[in-house]
Amino acid sequence: MEIATHPLALITLICAGLAAIILIGFLVLRPPLVGTTKIWLLVGLGVFPIGAAAAGNIEGYQATKKRTFCGSCHVMVPHASDSDDITSGSLASRHARNALFGGENCYVCHADYGMFGTVLTKLGGLKHVYMYATQFHDVSLDEAKKTIHLYKPYPNENCMQCHSTQLDLWLRTPDHRSSLEEVRANRISCASGGCHGFAHPMTKPSPAEPKHSAFGMSAPLAREALDMLLSIEGR
Amino acid sequence: MKIPPSTRLLRGACILALVALSLMVWSVLEPTPTPVLVAMSLGQILGTLSLLAFLVVVLADMRRAHLERAPTSDSPPPSA
Repeated sequence: MEIATHPLALITLICAGLAAIILIGFLVLRPPLVGTTKIWLLVGLGVFPIGAAAAGNIEGYQATKKRTFCGSCHVMVPHASDSDDITSGSLASRHARNALFGGENCYVCHADYGMFGTVLTKLGGLKHVYMYATQFHDVSLDEAKKTIHLYKPYPNENCMQCHSTQLDLWLRTPDHRSSLEEVRANRISCASGGCHGFAHPMTKPSPAEPKHSAFGMSAPLAREALDMLLSIEGR
Repeated sequence: MKIPPSTRLLRGACILALVALSLMVWSVLEPTPTPVLVAMSLGQILGTLSLLAFLVVVLADMRRAHLERAPTSDSPPPSA
C-alpha cells in the first residue's frame, strides 16, 4: 500500500517505531527504575501505543470499506475482478466506475443504513469472516459461486439511498412509473434480471450475462457502447 | 542475580507491547481481514495489558515509597 497517501498509516508506523525504540532500549540497557525511566516507559507503553492504536484502528476501519479488502478472500475475487473490469456491464462494475462509489463500491452498496447501520454492517462483516474461516476457506471458486448468497434479499432501500425514486427524471421512465409502489415496497428488485440486471451476474447459473445491462441495453451492446464512449474520450 | 518482580513485570509489559505494536503495524502494511481483525482484538488486549502492568508497578512503587516515608514523618525530631 502507498503509505504516503495514508497519513493515519504513517502516524501508526511512526508511533509504533518510537515506542519500539523506547521499549527495546529499556530491555537492552536495563536502567534503574527511577523517575525518568518511569516517564520514558509511560511514553513507550502508554502515549505512543495509544496513538498507534487510535490511528491504526481508524486506518483499519477505513481499510474494511475498500474493495481490495473484500476481494482479499478468494471467494470474492470474481466479484472484485468484475468491479475492476472497465468493460463489464454489470451493475457492480458500473457503480464502481462512479466516483461516489469507486474503490468502496462493495461497502456503499451492501452497507446497512440508519442509526446503527455502520455497527450492523461491521457485525455482518465479522459474520462473513467467521463463515469464511469455518465454511468457505477451502471451497473452490466454482463451488463458491453456486453456494455463496446474501443472508436476505438485497433491499431496494440501499439503491434508494442515491436513486430516491422521487425525481421527475426517474419517474419519467415508464417502467419506473408503473412499478413504483412495488419497487418502494421491495416486491420488485432493482437488481433483477428483468430490470437492471444482476449486480454480480457471474454468480448466477444462467444466463451468464445480464438480460438487461447498462441503460436497458443487452450486455454486449452495452460493452460496445462503452468502448465507443471510451474511444471518443481518448481522442 | 535475582531480578525484582517489578522489573520482571515491566520487562514482560515491554515484550507484550512490542508484540501488540507489531500486530498493529502488520494490519497497516497488509490491510486484509486477518491482520486487521487480529490487530483490533488481540493487539488491543495485549497493549492494554502491558499498560496495566506498567501502572501496577508504578502504583506499587508509589505505595512502597509512601509506606517507607510514613514512619520517619511521625518520629520525633532528633533534638527532642
